[in-house]
Amino acid sequence: MTRIRFSFARGEALKHISHLDMMRLIQRALRRSGLPLVYSEGYNPHLRFNLALPLPVNVTASEEYGEVILADPVTPDQFMAAFGEQLPAGLDLTGAWIEDDYSAPALPSTVGAALYRATLVAEEGCRVDPVQYRQTLDRLLAKEEILAPKTKKKKTKKVFVNVRSYIYEAYFNEPEKERPLELYMLLQAGSRGGVSPFFVIEQLEKELTVECNYKAHWELHRERLYRDQDQFLKPLSEGM
Amino acid sequence: MQALDTKLKRLLSQVQKPARYMGNEWNARQKDHAEAAVRMVLAFPDLYEVGMSNQGLKILYESVNSRPGMLMERAFAPGMDMEELMRAYDQPLFALESGKPLAEFDLIGFSLQYELSYTNVLNMLDLAGVPLYADQRGESDPLVVGGGPCAFNPEPLAPFFDFFVLGESEECLPELLSGLDRLKKEAPDRKELLVRLSEWEGIYVPSLYQPAYKEGKFSAIERTDSRAPAVIRKRLVRDLDRAPYPTAPIVPYLQAIHDRAVVELFRGCSRGCRFCQAGYIFRPVRRRSRDKLVETAKQQIAETGYEELSLASLSSADYPDLEELINELDRGLYGEQVKCNLPSLRLDSYSIKLANRLHRGKRSNLTFAPEAATERLRRVIRKNISEAEIFSALNDAVDAGWQGFKLYFMIGLPTETEEDVEAIVDLCRRLRQYFRHKSSRKIGISVSVSTFVPKAHTPFQWEPQLSLPEVTRRQEILQQGFKKMPGIDLSWHDAETSFLEAVFARGDRLLAPALEKAWSLGCRFDGWSEHFSMPGWRQAFRETGIEPEDYALRRFGYDDLLPWDHLHCGVDKAVLIREHQKAFNIDKPEQGEAQ
Repeated sequence: MTRIRFSFARGEALKHISHLDMMRLIQRALRRSGLPLVYSEGYNPHLRFNLALPLPVNVTASEEYGEVILADPVTPDQFMAAFGEQLPAGLDLTGAWIEDDYSAPALPSTVGAALYRATLVAEEGCRVDPVQYRQTLDRLLAKEEILAPKTKKKKTKKVFVNVRSYIYEAYFNEPEKERPLELYMLLQAGSRGGVSPFFVIEQLEKELTVECNYKAHWELHRERLYRDQDQFLKPLSEGM
Repeated sequence: MQALDTKLKRLLSQVQKPARYMGNEWNARQKDHAEAAVRMVLAFPDLYEVGMSNQGLKILYESVNSRPGMLMERAFAPGMDMEELMRAYDQPLFALESGKPLAEFDLIGFSLQYELSYTNVLNMLDLAGVPLYADQRGESDPLVVGGGPCAFNPEPLAPFFDFFVLGESEECLPELLSGLDRLKKEAPDRKELLVRLSEWEGIYVPSLYQPAYKEGKFSAIERTDSRAPAVIRKRLVRDLDRAPYPTAPIVPYLQAIHDRAVVELFRGCSRGCRFCQAGYIFRPVRRRSRDKLVETAKQQIAETGYEELSLASLSSADYPDLEELINELDRGLYGEQVKCNLPSLRLDSYSIKLANRLHRGKRSNLTFAPEAATERLRRVIRKNISEAEIFSALNDAVDAGWQGFKLYFMIGLPTETEEDVEAIVDLCRRLRQYFRHKSSRKIGISVSVSTFVPKAHTPFQWEPQLSLPEVTRRQEILQQGFKKMPGIDLSWHDAETSFLEAVFARGDRLLAPALEKAWSLGCRFDGWSEHFSMPGWRQAFRETGIEPEDYALRRFGYDDLLPWDHLHCGVDKAVLIREHQKAFNIDKPEQGEAQ
């Protein structure tokens, strides 16, 4: 059996689909590719396939990861050709390699954090005041407690979690002419819990003291994924 | 979608399930508008996930787009949240493939599957910026055409449509589109174009027919141009093996209601259930060959990556040598991990055997439609299964390890009495007792009860619907009866929804203003219980002077001219009359099967 990992980018054309849609899309693309796929045993066989971290709806990404088990040896080039051909516009396969260590943990359990970039897009004729945004962000980060509702299945009672510690870093880009305001957020993610970039932005907007009298919206992009190793974050791409 | 502008992209980030409006799916066709002489958009008046489950849409998409010089794109009814944003931002309704507004197409073709989607038809025309009434449209406006089962009585929609296509259009639509290009050059204006079109087989141009009314009731219809035919006959595909059928259907991003590969075993149905419109309008039975089915299934699986294949038809177990087909599919799809399923199972041992053969994995629930609980009433509707057969079939299913059943019944069928309704409760009680003694496992039984809606072109087209208060009373009998029966799960269709369906199913043109009124009062998605508003409809009927009960509860006589009598479904009225009479003389022996 061959364990293949691959990286891909998601563009504008596909940013509106959900994680479940992505899972179905990729699995069907794999099924069309003619690659020697492996299915689980049992009544309801499913593909031996994983994505590293769900990508939220309305978010583009440059460096996402997936892995799939194949029955026969396949070179990364063969994989790239066969699978890449079956992907729709908006989903670009950027790399593939063989994971020799068959006992390596499954991809989802290796993810520890993700870096997001949120761009503030103002409608024509609107001027955004960067200073105000920077000050507001400082105020938000100075808090010791930021409570986020935690949705537990089948429980109606709302539970709140302090997610302040999940926000590892958050900063705006250096001001430049003709360049929109960009907020970078390094957020904890994965099986140990995390915080949604949309939630952080929502908190930021709540903190804005001056009423917004212009129309603007945020566009989100996930830059890369990290693993949490010996207390240090390393890009997931390293050592893969 | 290629031409997504910033405004539209912005809207998509604010709505639920934006993938409904994205297009760009695997196998979607992007054809060049400049190279197409005729451009059509197929408009489905319901949500994307409903429309993309419709096999007819996929067949027509293939039939037009596989031809050079013409193109077909898709549009669906936007959800309420999207509609609100589109109106706020002046975003006209657009086609998914190119993002172009519907008004830029030559033809807008509505798929008319269900009476309760009519307000969505008007809403889509309005969102497209196309005048609602055909006589208000100018030379540069698209032609608005309707097809599908509801086109067999399109009278309530008549003023909004330029023409209808009667019957199966996968063969005639490409012909029509290439002919239209030629006609457009020859005909001096839109009116003449429509007259010329009316001479084609299967084309109904309602503006060329003038109805007359006596005491507020439809009484006659007259042609306003002698070139239009007196009776319009439906279009029919003769050889399904040679008819267009998708080998690479579109694979939606979001999960459609039916998200799977589909091969159609045959069209039509030989069973002849008297309430069933599909059983009449799709006659005669025409089959696809086994070779063609296996070939198509293999192509579809290879081109889509689907993990499920449906062997569809109105009564799939009736396909000759179905077991051999399944064997060949097994061989043809070996190693692809494809699950086959067979919808529309009949209640007999053969069907159970097939279900056992096809199903892998946990045997959860099987669904059947006995429709009525007494043998007498089943003979009236010509659903001829005996009680012994029901017990023996379900017994086989339990023996094979199935965990439970879902049973569909109808109330309000002609000649139904209170005893027939109580018999539903009684039958389920006896089934429950039987399986309790027989099986150590718990056998789940769920019962779903709908209300009979008399449909045009069926032997029951003359019959009234049961009145609303009486439907409610009979539903209460069921609720009371099942209350004392734990372990049986009862659900029923909303009585008012079925009432409205009945009003339009046998309606005439006088209903058009009420329809427009209801739409303008905000009625949308009337088939969806969360959106359906009876108060809105009551107000619309009141303000337009319509008594809806006059329509739903009307009993027609054989001598009455019916609003759809000038539309011929392929079955002569004499046959329908004979079947109608037989329903009330069930003691006479049946002869042969329907053709």
